[in-house]
Amino acid sequence: MRLTDRGIYWVLATVLAAAALIPEFRSLGNLANVATQSAALAVLALGQTFVILCGLIDLSVGQLTGLIVVLVCDVAAGQDAMTAPALLLALGLGAASGAITGLLNNRLRIHPLILTFGTMSVLQGIVFTYTDRSVGRAPAAIAWLADGRLLGLPVAPLLVLLLAAGAHVTLTRTRFGMHVHAVGGGRDNARRAGIDTDRVAATVFVISGVSASIGGLLVAGRLGVGYPHAGAGFELDAIVAVVLGGTSLAGGRGSVAGTVAAVLLLGLTNNVLNLLQISSFIQMLVKGLIVIGAILVNQPGGRRAFA
Amino acid sequence: MSTEAERPRVRPAAIASWLNAGWVERSAIWVVLVALLGVAALFSDAFLQPSYLFNMVRQAAPVGVAAIGVTLVMVMGGVDLSVGAVISLAAVVAAVLMDGQAGNIGYALAATLTIGAAIGFANGVLVAWNRGSPFILTLGTAVAVYGLTQIYSGGTARGIVAPGFREFFNERIGGLVPVLALLFLAAATIAVLVQRTTRFGRSLYLVGSNPRAARLAGLRAARLTVTTYTLSGLLAALGGIALLARSGVSSTFAGRGFEFDALAAVVLGGTTFEGGRGGVGGTVAGLLVLFVAFNLVNILGLNYNVQRLVAGVIIIVASAAYTYLTSRRLTESRLWPSHHTSEGAP
Amino acid sequence: MKTRLTAICAALVLIVAALPLTSLAQGVEAARVQETVATARFKRAAPYRVGVAAGYLSNSWVVFCLQHIRYEAARHKEISEVLVTDAGFNPGKQVADIEDLISKNVSLILYWPVDEKAIQPALEKAVVKGIPTVNTGGGFTYSPGTVANAFIDQVVLGDMVARQLFKDMRGKGKIVAMLPIAGTTAAVDQLAALRTAMKEFSQIELLSAEYGDWNRAKAKQITENLLQRHPRIDGVFSPAGQMSIGVAEAFEEAGRLKEVVMSPGDEYNGWLKWVAKHKRGGAVTFPTRVGQEAVRLGLRILNGEPVKRGLTVPSEYISPASISRYVEPTRPDDWWASTLPEEWKPK
Repeated sequence: MRLTDRGIYWVLATVLAAAALIPEFRSLGNLANVATQSAALAVLALGQTFVILCGLIDLSVGQLTGLIVVLVCDVAAGQDAMTAPALLLALGLGAASGAITGLLNNRLRIHPLILTFGTMSVLQGIVFTYTDRSVGRAPAAIAWLADGRLLGLPVAPLLVLLLAAGAHVTLTRTRFGMHVHAVGGGRDNARRAGIDTDRVAATVFVISGVSASIGGLLVAGRLGVGYPHAGAGFELDAIVAVVLGGTSLAGGRGSVAGTVAAVLLLGLTNNVLNLLQISSFIQMLVKGLIVIGAILVNQPGGRRAFA
Repeated sequence: MSTEAERPRVRPAAIASWLNAGWVERSAIWVVLVALLGVAALFSDAFLQPSYLFNMVRQAAPVGVAAIGVTLVMVMGGVDLSVGAVISLAAVVAAVLMDGQAGNIGYALAATLTIGAAIGFANGVLVAWNRGSPFILTLGTAVAVYGLTQIYSGGTARGIVAPGFREFFNERIGGLVPVLALLFLAAATIAVLVQRTTRFGRSLYLVGSNPRAARLAGLRAARLTVTTYTLSGLLAALGGIALLARSGVSSTFAGRGFEFDALAAVVLGGTTFEGGRGGVGGTVAGLLVLFVAFNLVNILGLNYNVQRLVAGVIIIVASAAYTYLTSRRLTESRLWPSHHTSEGAP
Repeated sequence: MKTRLTAICAALVLIVAALPLTSLAQGVEAARVQETVATARFKRAAPYRVGVAAGYLSNSWVVFCLQHIRYEAARHKEISEVLVTDAGFNPGKQVADIEDLISKNVSLILYWPVDEKAIQPALEKAVVKGIPTVNTGGGFTYSPGTVANAFIDQVVLGDMVARQLFKDMRGKGKIVAMLPIAGTTAAVDQLAALRTAMKEFSQIELLSAEYGDWNRAKAKQITENLLQRHPRIDGVFSPAGQMSIGVAEAFEEAGRLKEVVMSPGDEYNGWLKWVAKHKRGGAVTFPTRVGQEAVRLGLRILNGEPVKRGLTVPSEYISPASISRYVEPTRPDDWWASTLPEEWKPK
């Protein structure tokens, strides 16, 4: 195992140690906040991990999240009775969008960067044609999911842990998981070995779509309203988290644990910068440098990653 | 085209295919442009008026100038998504340095272009040195540059444009052609000449289509990379100056989103992520198609956001069409050593 | 003696001239604005740490507003610190920022929202903890999470702008409206005020209401297309000066500036320069000093004094003739006329 694969854990530990020096950081309330604030991104990053492991990429998840936030709140309109329909709508929409993307990816043979760049634009157009202002209201159950507590612990991070465990098991212990690694490691070789690469590719896009569904539910719960800009930029953050966590953009190598660690690191960094009262302009610069750093650290192992 | 004597010993298949049958792709987008203009004219006769059309070219000029740089980078096999951020920074810096004095114009423009080139240089070095994804890398640079812009400006676009600067660029020659539009077309023409006739231009295609062969041919990919990205940064800064000329001082993120429009224009024009094909000529056509589509949406009174939808659909359809065209031609000619399929990306 | 008499006459003339402009509009939710807030439970002793949860800082108006806040804070010894967070137009982040400010035990939270409804739950958490919240400059919010509002009434502002426009148009013609980001209080209230004022002017026709997002270039592009769609536009309703410049430029480049009446904009310096140059348009102010009022309001709450739910900072009309007192030709376009002392202005 390369040093860079483990690198994220060292960085995380260092930042945690440094953060512990700040008094406000140490409070349980603050830690719970950081975990809750990072939950939606964590879910999206988990989905993106599957996609990137497979050698693909999905830029549309951010806008898809935004669309789901808007629709869930608008359809539910704050009524508890609408919670189940809203949930079904979110999951269905995410899965459908992922399925369509997967289908287009298999049929059209264009680079997934361009394809999902196009679908991202289409989704953005749909969101803002539907509404240009906040609409609706999230039902109480979803707000609880995003912000509430279960036995004193915040619910959203628990959900993330559950999903992460599931993702980890899927990727390391199931046949599908091995197929994902195989396709990422070399599509032609995987096909020759008898793997239905098209189906694997389509499935990871569906997983990505569903991750946007769950992420969207969390964002909707946290904001309480269907804010159309809610998803903007999420895709880049998710990709950065995956890459920072040690997953190679060329596909075939990476882990769920790395992704989760990277999301935590990003959340911690935001929190520390805020607590230290660093100007938001400098925070922007820092964020850019982190992205660049993430790429530099990400060694594709000799093979050139796609553009 | 170029003479045989100048060719390196190794004859990469890419050059052959580029020479042979690229004309279908290259003309396709112009046909689409004319057809789209025809359709648009049915909805509004504005699209038949030269003054409106030239105004559209002027609208497109800032994005267009930056798109020239993105084209060159993509031909080489990379991509530069930091152009929107560089445009924003350039617009702010140029205005601040001008500080309302005509005498400062020269200095302000020179400094702005230098800064753009420097950012491009940094991008180039990072991309050349690290084999990771230029897509994500330049997006990261973009965020960092936006941060720098905010820090430099303190949140307000502090500049004051020098008198005469904007008037010069917005003046219509013969009452018809805005200077800015003319300058954009001139820049595009120069770029086309560079890409077709100079060694530099041909090296871009070579490196993009077959990096291994290019290395065998003695081309220094790293140096070429740095040069091209620097050029892209320079052109993006020029785009920022064009934006300042067109719209005046507005905000610290005036160029936000321009990188996506530029990318759309480039892809529409036939240049792809794999590199080795396409060119600035196609980009200009693609840019015009995009802006005709945007303006048509506006004139029809449709929601402004439908533009995003249209842009997305256009990108997907165009890319699929190009892929179909190229793969069909290539399977027929059997020229292409399919070096993509074993690389992990589909 | 004579000069004093002249001054009084001048004042009277000005008051009489200004009367048509003092709004006949009801303004925003008048009853709720006047409601008294019980603030006893927020009373606490100095020193105070003031938290500012900015929805965004990349906008010259809020930069000025923040400077006003800092200036006012510096004038009060009992304020020990001003902590500022910036959500960068991300409401999810603004929620997180407010939570972070609560963790840092601030005594007061001033804020302007990206999206008002999205941050209410977080604001309520602050109020429950005894931290008063003041909506600064945004609009009027009546909700448990917002203790008080220091704001500029956009309905009154929109009404003043509309009436001046109609007056300059002599009560008839076709107009277009250029509004800020759709869904914001500004956009909603200004359009509502326009429509209400239009009820009294039956010969005014609204061709189209467009959203220029406070973006000069976007406003210009939208206007270019409007000019194409409508062969005749007599007036432009655009209370935001930043966008008015873009609109006016589009008209000028199309050679149609002479046919159109521009409504007053605001005190955006670039717009003031345009007004000074073209001698038309004028301004209805959107004072950045609301930041100072917010601080003062916050201090009264922390003192346990009862306050009204809404404190309005009135807008004033500046005619093209008097523009020279407000425009700063040597300052950038992206600048605001304000009462800030020189050393407190943004650098």
